[in-house]
Amino acid sequence: MNAPAGLKTVLKDVAKAKGLPNAHYIDPAVFEEERHHVLYANWAGIGFGKDIPEIGDAKPVDFLGMPLLLVRDEDGAINVYQNTCRHRGMILVEEPQKIRGAIRCPYHSWCYTLKGALRTTPHVGGPGTNIHDDIKRDELGLLRVRAHVWQDVVFVNIDGQAAPFEEANAGLLERWKEFEKPTFHGGAAASFKLDVKTNWKLAVENYCESYHLPWVHPGLNSYSRLEDHYHIEERGFYSGQGTLVYRQLTSEGGAVFPDFEGLSDKWDTGAEYISVYPNVLMGVHRDHTYAIILEPVALAETVEHIEIYYAEPPEHLPDGLVEANSKQWKEVFVEDVFVVEGMQKGRQGILFDGGKFSPAMDGPTHNFHHWVATNIEAGRAKSA
Amino acid sequence: MVDVRSDLDAALLAAHAKGDGFELSRLYADAADQAERDQDTDAVCFFLTQAYVSALETGLPSASVLNQRLVQYGREVVQADLMS
Repeated sequence: MNAPAGLKTVLKDVAKAKGLPNAHYIDPAVFEEERHHVLYANWAGIGFGKDIPEIGDAKPVDFLGMPLLLVRDEDGAINVYQNTCRHRGMILVEEPQKIRGAIRCPYHSWCYTLKGALRTTPHVGGPGTNIHDDIKRDELGLLRVRAHVWQDVVFVNIDGQAAPFEEANAGLLERWKEFEKPTFHGGAAASFKLDVKTNWKLAVENYCESYHLPWVHPGLNSYSRLEDHYHIEERGFYSGQGTLVYRQLTSEGGAVFPDFEGLSDKWDTGAEYISVYPNVLMGVHRDHTYAIILEPVALAETVEHIEIYYAEPPEHLPDGLVEANSKQWKEVFVEDVFVVEGMQKGRQGILFDGGKFSPAMDGPTHNFHHWVATNIEAGRAKSA
Repeated sequence: MVDVRSDLDAALLAAHAKGDGFELSRLYADAADQAERDQDTDAVCFFLTQAYVSALETGLPSASVLNQRLVQYGREVVQADLMS
């Protein structure tokens, strides 16, 4: 079902290629492969810095079964650890909480600092003796997971083998360097999530392309027509779409969001929407950005975590506009749900052959398929 | 090891139930003081350890003193940054 040979057609040019075979959407064995070769082998998004805003804030995250712990330390830095005590493998933190002093394992109370160092090992040498020659604390700190924060998204590379984030995403960082400036989360009204019965990749694929806009998002036709969009494709890295006619949301009183400072003219009416492989979808506009983390809960179950950011703190933004912007985006993303769930159902059709791409319109989607296939083949080669 | 007196025992159980780290640390430190008066070193260090862990978890300044007391008994290593 998942023979490597099946991916050769995916790796052809878009005009000749087929899409990823059904197995990549419905076969638990391939899902397990993708967990390791795609999601753990690259820089995947697992959370947002705004969820741990203060020193000592800790948030556990289950990333495809991998227990992770996000912690903001005394220096304000975000750390990601395996959420597992080095002693007996107990889960350290079960619920988001404020760590006031040490991270204490609830089992035998081994304690760790916010920076992951093993602080004490109570009674480890017998009652009242907290030291032992064979317990070397400097070797038993929390296991750190490679992490990088960009645009408030916490990315991790679980297997530790990917190129550094800045290298792996150099092209995108350069492309969007004008947005390397402080952003402010819009608060509770700028945060929502969608539970979608689909494989996580279908949400990426749908996000990449503008082909579906006239049919799935007819409300955009009045000002954002198909011909106003362009493809974004960087083979081996990222893909998406751009628009030339972004129009700022305006309140009844004529108020708009403040712009990010120093943007070039391109962004006056331009906006871009890019899939940051594997599982983060981002959008940039003159007056707001957003990030969607696709949490691949299960083979056909994905949670979309959407967070929207602005150039100024929410208390400085026009009344009601944050809510209106979230409502607008939520309507768009909800319109996509039947599509990604429908494609998931469609892939139960055993005669489906991965699908025929439009050479003119599906390049960004094929780019993602090509990237997944490349990662899978590389992983299979390593595992062989 | 000395027995924990019943009233102390009840107070400890109540503090554990509430997750009151400050109270736990204080009660265990009191127990350590009592054990010191009884010259029961193992009991002292047991209670000091309990007090120390609660102080560490709760972020109490007393963690530094408790650490030093355990170090003096040879039961813990110096955690210099606690003194900062």
